[in-house]
Amino acid sequence: MRKAHRIGILYSTSGPYAAIGRDCRDAAEFAIAQYGAVMPGLVEPVHVDPGASLKGYVEGAITMLRDRGCRHIIGTVTSAARKEIIPVVEKHDGLLWYTCPYEGFEANPNVIYTGACPNQHLLPLFDYLLPRFGTRPYLAGANYVWGWEMNRLARELINAAGGEIAGERYLPLEETSVDLLIADIERERPDFILNNLIGPASYAFLEAMHALARRDPAFAPERCPVVSCDLTECELDHLPGDVAVGQMSAACYFDGMAGSEDAALRGEVVRAFGSGRRISSIFAATYAAAALCIEAIHAIGDDEPRAVRQHLYSTTSQTVLGPLRIDAATNHAALPFHLGRINRTGGFDVIASRPAISADPYLAGQRSAARPRLRIVS
Amino acid sequence: MKHTPNFSHRRALLLHRPDSNTDRLVRQLKLLGLLVEIAWQPLTEAALPDIVLVDADQGWDGLLPWKSGEEAPCPVVALLGTEAPSRIAWALERGAGAILAKPVNTSAVFPALVLAHARHEERLEMRERLRHLEERVRLRPVVHAAIRLLMQKRGMSEDEAFAALRTAAMKQRQTVEAIAVAIAAGTFSLPEAG
Repeated sequence: MRKAHRIGILYSTSGPYAAIGRDCRDAAEFAIAQYGAVMPGLVEPVHVDPGASLKGYVEGAITMLRDRGCRHIIGTVTSAARKEIIPVVEKHDGLLWYTCPYEGFEANPNVIYTGACPNQHLLPLFDYLLPRFGTRPYLAGANYVWGWEMNRLARELINAAGGEIAGERYLPLEETSVDLLIADIERERPDFILNNLIGPASYAFLEAMHALARRDPAFAPERCPVVSCDLTECELDHLPGDVAVGQMSAACYFDGMAGSEDAALRGEVVRAFGSGRRISSIFAATYAAAALCIEAIHAIGDDEPRAVRQHLYSTTSQTVLGPLRIDAATNHAALPFHLGRINRTGGFDVIASRPAISADPYLAGQRSAARPRLRIVS
Repeated sequence: MKHTPNFSHRRALLLHRPDSNTDRLVRQLKLLGLLVEIAWQPLTEAALPDIVLVDADQGWDGLLPWKSGEEAPCPVVALLGTEAPSRIAWALERGAGAILAKPVNTSAVFPALVLAHARHEERLEMRERLRHLEERVRLRPVVHAAIRLLMQKRGMSEDEAFAALRTAAMKQRQTVEAIAVAIAAGTFSLPEAG
């Protein structure tokens, strides 16, 4: 019997992105284990935890590709880590599977993207918010490319809509002191707040907004919501009590969404991780990436990246995210847009949806293409 | 950056022999929405695209329709593998606003286009500003003539005459030079001081 094809799993379970990293790692491991049960000996995982250091990511990628015989890596949460290992992946002509929402402006032939880019999250989110809440948002962000680029784009969208930015403030990645930010928001009284903060800073901010809303009902979520494009179920556990209830998040998937064909997967996840475990969009996108990778390897009988890519381009796969297609031009997945509102049971209620949107990472088509209208589901 | 740079439907001409670099480049240009043509023969003025990406390793003087040191009529990106100063100089003299190193790194393509485009716009702006300044310098003698005229006819000091010219120009929303020309020609007279 031939040796199993090795798939690298490269996620950090420490640092400000720890919760996301753990969710991604769980999803990738879980997918490999599940497929292993029906396709024994086809693939096996190779784990490296880079410990939230960019150097750790590079060393991990080199170990996987050069020493451990991997040709595929599922990994990285931040754009910094992804950019750091791409040259290594290119050098070994491997394939990186990137599964988190990000700020776009990338389409590397050696990367498959199953996370959403702005035309799949921020643009439809603003299409929903502006007519309902107004065109005067406050932009809060982490001092990092995600915060900078998302807020730049938000500013462009607001200018185009004839609105204005109520304020814009950045916090260092590990900063959890949000008093100045909250004071500024209280003074400026925006229509809504775009939250591009990360991890603990974001949790502290949501908690402080909750306190502000108790002091002044004008800041309650139904009047001045805090919205994000990367807050998922995997981070709600880090928020005390009901502090984030009513706030909104855009994602390609929410746990327990009506109509999703994931009942079987749900059961397996509960069996593996316990009944409290929810399937976040990040878990779902990582699981889908692993599934695509394994199914492609199974179909072509090899893990050669070029052949895997060609297989992906010619196939629409049934995944937890629905039928999934990878665009040959951009290497990105077409993804549905859902808007969720945080409920009291640690999950999201879906309040608006749009069917799969082709990724346009450089927003090249935005000025010529008419935008489809949003379908309201509740 | 106020607007996301958008290159969709722009025509890019890739002056380079087809190889693995151009394959990668064409893929990236297409996904940015550009209409891409690839050629390895002299470009004619009539066929000028919206942006030129030219092989600066192999490029010769007749490849581009504008002369060395002349202003490029469109944004130019130089593709460069060598580090030889003569080839860098060739790229510069051809008006390259950005250099794309070979082998082409896909993540360098969009920034190079944005940079070359911004440089080109900046040059056009500078040229326009220069033209404007040259015009003003050219009309300096007329301004002096108008000031002398005001000093004689209105008994103003030089400073007062210039201030009056400037005020009139502001009120008429014209340049000082244009008002001076009109005064010298007798087609405009300053309102009497009141």
